[in-house]
Amino acid sequence: MKLFQSAVVLAASALCVTALSPHFVVAQNLENSQILKPTPDSWPLYHGDYSGRRHSPLTQITPQNVDRLSLAWAFQTRQFFEIKSTPLLVDGVLYFSVPEHIWAVDARSGHQLWHYSKPTPKGLHIGHRGVAMYKGWLYFTTTDAHLVSLNAKDGTVRWSKEIADVNAGYWTTMSPLIVKDHVIVGVSGDFDNLGGYLRSFDPETGDMQWQWNSTPSVGTPNSTTGGMTWMTGTYDPELNLIFWGTGNPTPVLKGDSRPGDDQWTCSIVAINPDTGKLAWGFQASPHDTHDWDAVETPVLVDADFHGQPRKMLMQASRNGYFFVLDRTTGKSLLTVPFGPTNWALGVDKEGRPIPNPEKEPKPDGRLIAPDEGGLTNYRAPSFDPRTGLFIVDAHPSYSVYFAKPADGAYGWAGADYGLWGKGVIDAIDYQTGKIRWSHDVGDGGSGAGILTTESGLTITGDGLGNVLALETKTGKTLWHARTGRGMESSPITYELDGRQYIITSSGGTLFAWALPENALEGGSSASQPH
Amino acid sequence: MKSLSFMPRFLIVVSCAAFAGVLILASRQPSVHAAGQAPAPTPVQAGAGLFQQDCAFCHGRDAMGGETGPDLTRSKLVLSDTDGSKIAEVVRNGRLNTEKKMPPFHVSDAEMVSLVEFIRARVTAAAAMKGGRRGVDVADLQTGNVELGKQYFNGAGGCSKCHSPTGDLAGVASRHQGLSLERRMLYPEGAKSKVTVTLASGETVTGTLAYLDEFTVGLRDSNNTYRSWFIDKVKKYVVDSPVEAHVEQFPKYTDADIHNLMAYIQTLK
Repeated sequence: MKLFQSAVVLAASALCVTALSPHFVVAQNLENSQILKPTPDSWPLYHGDYSGRRHSPLTQITPQNVDRLSLAWAFQTRQFFEIKSTPLLVDGVLYFSVPEHIWAVDARSGHQLWHYSKPTPKGLHIGHRGVAMYKGWLYFTTTDAHLVSLNAKDGTVRWSKEIADVNAGYWTTMSPLIVKDHVIVGVSGDFDNLGGYLRSFDPETGDMQWQWNSTPSVGTPNSTTGGMTWMTGTYDPELNLIFWGTGNPTPVLKGDSRPGDDQWTCSIVAINPDTGKLAWGFQASPHDTHDWDAVETPVLVDADFHGQPRKMLMQASRNGYFFVLDRTTGKSLLTVPFGPTNWALGVDKEGRPIPNPEKEPKPDGRLIAPDEGGLTNYRAPSFDPRTGLFIVDAHPSYSVYFAKPADGAYGWAGADYGLWGKGVIDAIDYQTGKIRWSHDVGDGGSGAGILTTESGLTITGDGLGNVLALETKTGKTLWHARTGRGMESSPITYELDGRQYIITSSGGTLFAWALPENALEGGSSASQPH
Repeated sequence: MKSLSFMPRFLIVVSCAAFAGVLILASRQPSVHAAGQAPAPTPVQAGAGLFQQDCAFCHGRDAMGGETGPDLTRSKLVLSDTDGSKIAEVVRNGRLNTEKKMPPFHVSDAEMVSLVEFIRARVTAAAAMKGGRRGVDVADLQTGNVELGKQYFNGAGGCSKCHSPTGDLAGVASRHQGLSLERRMLYPEGAKSKVTVTLASGETVTGTLAYLDEFTVGLRDSNNTYRSWFIDKVKKYVVDSPVEAHVEQFPKYTDADIHNLMAYIQTLK
């Protein structure tokens, strides 16, 4: 009897402990509820949360005290690929990647827990955006277009499934999106005339659940290929829709073989994550001939637009235009350039730019703004609800584009060359598209993404190796640190043991920044109840 | 010694013939390999694989460029590189001071040899294409009018404010041709700026701008000595960047202006 009573007491205590403090169960697991409503001590997916706003509620680091921000630790990968991934932070462990490699790092000490590496000769090694996590498993896309599932505790491989045929010209770089029991991945590959698609995998078995094709089957007459799904999308759980950007058509610089709008290339699409069926689509660049993917983050914002509450989707797109859509219908609310553009005749009644045929690539060249890299690219933007500013790392630029019969109608089918560009952080008023402030970040441009915090800080980097903390209201620099190589990733922040950390990367090194310990004595904790 | 009887002799002859046959067949393969294994790649094949991994994204799968990166098959550096050392230097150090910031790559000596072999093979293949060669030929850039170009140079283009056909631009078309000339015409990468720094003391220092970010300004003085200052410790600094006029011209050009200007510039041999 006594033994039984003790057992009951023990069991009851265990239950109480589990029920009262979910964080006590430290198992490096990640449930759907934790992805849906991330706690301040986590960054559980590529965007930080499903909205893609990259706006943190943490307020320990403020415009007033950020000048005391200092190095907590640095982690050196000691290899040569630049870090372009957004790290995940789950249960005190950071997970980040470069092509062929994943590291798990103790977020307190900055030391390595495990390192996965698999030499993978096939596929382009241009970069990697990060891993995804679900329950106790990581999901990693490889250069040779496979989805690998690994045990988050030790980096051992559970299974590897083919996403696409690397020998046909596909490769993969993106961080998968976990929605309920779906692991959703996209593909890359512009040098062949290939079909773009999204594919959903079962998180346990790796079996394919559904596939959505962005373009008609290869070989369809007078029709485009392409529409690669390069980057991670966003998700609205109430509408139960994922929002994804698609890439440019192929052949890239020559449009004769693919007349018309070339759906759904250079588009923002809304897809049901359970079925893979299209709900709506909006083309940022109908009949594109400049390689301007529309794969930049489709940021989800619920706010007033011109006096009316709206569920919006915002994208600062590669082609130079800032788009605001109603995400329930896909209808355009605003289309305005956010830098120099010279390739469109105007905007049509659907809010889509009208491409000027005279600015398509020609044998003797055409001067085009922006350049092929675009007015922005993979680096993540951020939306700050307090100021209503959509903040993006922009690249005002000019280039020359050529295409002639000898270039053929396969793959690139032409040549483009950048002439000049510079980097600026632009703060766009989302209701008008007007740029409220602009902060120079160097000739040539910067590869850094943006993070904003509720305390009024904007964290980013310039093109010369400086990490910058700006005042979100004005763009004024409040703090900086020289890290040696330009940031090529997007910063994250989280709270651990009552201390707020900001993580940035430079070259092959990860940096953790925090206020000094003694600055926290008697001070505020990182997360404010609200 | 007793000579071999017929049967063993026959077997020896047949064996030798078979063995010789195997040797002849084997020598036709790039390398002898054990059954079941793929043949070891030639340097060009190995270089092709490495090129696809790290270089193709910008320089194209065929090294003929135009996807952000230059056409290596027309590159002066590549064409003048007799021992692969020039290519190696660029691959290992990158080109971080250019618009597109080519990063450095970590390549072993053996890998570098194969990479250079592949690039050279592409140069040869591209040259054989003649009229069917993709990319930008000098012949593609002849659609302008010389007289209109000269008028633009001296008029709306504003070029004659800083440039002279008999002065700094004399012979420019002998030094550069085709796409290379057009790109320099539109924006000369590497053009130097001057900077004058006024120190807290009131003393001014002038030199060629060598470094500038939000926090630090650096110059090389007339003795080529490098000097730098924290920007918040000096009174002010003023940059004189004549090349900015090229940037200001970008929104003003029509494509016809550019082709006409190119026609005129190409006469300055």
